[in-house]
Amino acid sequence: MGDLEALAPQLGDALRFHDPIAVDGVAVSATITPRDEDDLSAVLEALGDARCAAIPLGAGTQLGLGNAPQRADCFLSLAEFARVDELDASEGVCHAGAGTPLEELRARVREAGWELPLDDAGRGGTLGGALATAALAPRALGFGRPRDVVLGCEVVLADGLRARCGGRVVKNVTGYDMAKLYVGSLGALGVITGAWLRLAPKPAAMRVLQGDELDDASALALGNHAARLVTARSCLLCDETRGLRATVELAGDAASVERDARDLAQHGLRPANPALRDAAATRRFAGLAGAIRFVVSALPTRLAECVMELRGAGAELLVLPGLGLVCARSAGTDPAALFDAAARAASAGDGRLLCERAPHDAKHGRDVFAAPPAEAALTRALKARFDPNAVLNRGRFAGGV
Amino acid sequence: MTAAPSEHPRLVEALEAIVGADRCLHRPEELLVYECDGLTLHTADPSAVVFPESREEVQAIVRACRHRRVPFVPRGAGTGLSGGALANDGAVVVECSRLNRIRALDPANRIAVVEPGVINADLSAAARPHALFYAPDPSSQLACTLGGNVAENSGGPHTLKYGTTTNHVLALELVLPDGSCLELGSPTSFAPGFDWVGAVVGSEGTLGIVTAITVRLSPIPESVETLLAIFPDVVTACRAVGMVIEAALVPAALEIVDQRTIRAVEDSVYAAGLPRDAGAILIAELDGPAVALAAQVERVRELCARAGADRVEIARDEAERQRFWRARKGAFGAMGRLAPDLYVHDAVVPRSALPVVLEKVCEIGDRYRLTLSNVFHAGDGNLHPNISFDRRDPDQLARVMAAGAEILKLCVAAGGVITGEHGVGTEKREFISLVFSDADLEAMQRLRATFDPDRACNPGKIFPTTRFCAESNPKARGYDRIPM
Repeated sequence: MGDLEALAPQLGDALRFHDPIAVDGVAVSATITPRDEDDLSAVLEALGDARCAAIPLGAGTQLGLGNAPQRADCFLSLAEFARVDELDASEGVCHAGAGTPLEELRARVREAGWELPLDDAGRGGTLGGALATAALAPRALGFGRPRDVVLGCEVVLADGLRARCGGRVVKNVTGYDMAKLYVGSLGALGVITGAWLRLAPKPAAMRVLQGDELDDASALALGNHAARLVTARSCLLCDETRGLRATVELAGDAASVERDARDLAQHGLRPANPALRDAAATRRFAGLAGAIRFVVSALPTRLAECVMELRGAGAELLVLPGLGLVCARSAGTDPAALFDAAARAASAGDGRLLCERAPHDAKHGRDVFAAPPAEAALTRALKARFDPNAVLNRGRFAGGV
Repeated sequence: MTAAPSEHPRLVEALEAIVGADRCLHRPEELLVYECDGLTLHTADPSAVVFPESREEVQAIVRACRHRRVPFVPRGAGTGLSGGALANDGAVVVECSRLNRIRALDPANRIAVVEPGVINADLSAAARPHALFYAPDPSSQLACTLGGNVAENSGGPHTLKYGTTTNHVLALELVLPDGSCLELGSPTSFAPGFDWVGAVVGSEGTLGIVTAITVRLSPIPESVETLLAIFPDVVTACRAVGMVIEAALVPAALEIVDQRTIRAVEDSVYAAGLPRDAGAILIAELDGPAVALAAQVERVRELCARAGADRVEIARDEAERQRFWRARKGAFGAMGRLAPDLYVHDAVVPRSALPVVLEKVCEIGDRYRLTLSNVFHAGDGNLHPNISFDRRDPDQLARVMAAGAEILKLCVAAGGVITGEHGVGTEKREFISLVFSDADLEAMQRLRATFDPDRACNPGKIFPTTRFCAESNPKARGYDRIPM
């Protein structure tokens, strides 16, 4: 804190001290709110010179994601970057600031006759948060991954360098595809301040169908089938009292949606209120107090083995067939046992795992990203090139960089 | 990083020790064919060309090159159009054509693991019995390799709906410039941590040598409908494309062929029976569930008519569909009739800017007294102004280069970029600063330096050099080729 206080005269009104907010056991008592990119650049330079560390902050909905910080002197709020700069309905693209609430952006895009293909399952996050974490929410089945939605972005790198990559056009191989590197990097290299996004056509028809609770094998078979229907936009299998219940959302042209709905009806699914889908989707990121939440990926043919491993650890499951993800949460299980089970599940699925949420003592001594050891040297080298003073999210990203 | 000429025999000896004498070319007459890729205007002589057959051999080659401070460059089929596979600084060419196995085809999980020398179309052919295909389909797909596609993040006519290579690559096996090997990504497409796969795809072979690629296979669409709309001019055709995009329709492809190209095609073996007086044609392809296509086809037809199409035809069967596409796919071959050389440009603009930009592109061609024709991925805003010329005429060549530069500046000024699918390579490295600032390029250099601090892997690509203007101007140097 002492170092940050020394910067107070330089930071002026942008720096605000407040009651401590705990981030994985580290108390953060200050927030810097830069006005624009130039300001953010100067702030990052100053923080670097003072050897301070900062955590970029959107709506704060995903502060629990990442390894425990090695140090955190302040938050870097992107609140001043909340704006929709351009929405080109003739082109199906838009540009927005990182602090823009996703709900607001979604509403603006819908007004223009398009759909924002970024899903945060109703968490109330910001565009910057969605891109920095690149979390896969249920509608990623229809929308694609967040990394595939970004056409270009502006970033202020950890040492203050302002860089841009990509652009507003929908096809572009000019230079390295740096946006891929920034999206999902939890701000480890720089702070995304704005992005060009590719929009999706607004579907003419939507339908939600829900099934009965089924045993794991039957539910997975149904889920794998449903997720491959052309109009499947989200497909969730949620743990209920007697088994997994499928909730499928179809979206697209009316004729195809109708056809796929008939297909699902033959598999026992019935029309359901869209609110039921939304309720099921919120379970993707729901966290019980003190709970540990993992997301584990698996190939479609290995989902059952992955589920079996996690069941053995007593976890409550939400399966996203099509995305090949199993979300597991548990409040009562021994953290070490659950970490082990998740590792076995990922291995069984030929996939990877991420511990999205855990009490900070459970994170101690672990890499929640479970980054392959072979990538460690490259990860450290990249971090060192972009953030030599470890200003941004120090220790929080993969491999503890 | 350049080896002294006296080191050459020892380099060859070391390479032959790895792959054997029959898989190492080093005599000048053997190397001639490797002096360029599809961009024949740019040339550079490699020190040697080696044909590894395994990842281990690639690693050994890289180590041997590093030991002797010789750069190296991976090469696929050499169909690239930006000089990306050029052996700058006497690099050793690591020719990947013998790394051509499909290691695994897993229809149940809709993935395949292939080596970089597998030809693009061969993968789709292998997947077809399982009702699957590999979606990125560059025009050169009968010859180009998947390793090359990864290097260039290749697209193709169907990029509009299916995306480019980066949207279909899940994992990579990469030999780093220090000779070590990494597995990057995950076949499940979920790989927490840095998106290394996303960074490597499209990096033009500057971050390492890919030795295996895990790709996503897509289900062959249930139904396909292809329309051919005939327009009085290319600008009107572009307007129709804008209307289709604005209507939020997502055809699989929207391709425009202009009058000069139509005539070249009709005069060639690719003749498709198109009206020679047509100002332009638009090929629109829609795919998906049969129940949905009729309405979409009708909508596209209506939009084309409203935009000013003289006529819209719908392919009645597969033979007619192939005939429509012949005009598009045979275009580059047919242009061989117009002049001995063809410069295929590649730039992207916002689709709404297409009518204005196309008009200006044609003006530029006229002003420089060049034969300029257009055949392009209109749905993506990806222009391919093609200039037919004779490189033996230095004045003509200079005009080709000047017109090309002006076209790129025009596209950037319209909110576009200098390449949509061919890459920067050596061709456009001096133009990248039109799009990116020094700071933007510095960020890219940091990534480059993370993988390859000595710039041993495919040097002289993407980034601007100090050599520009007079030094690389063929007219000024008196060359009809541009040695790099």
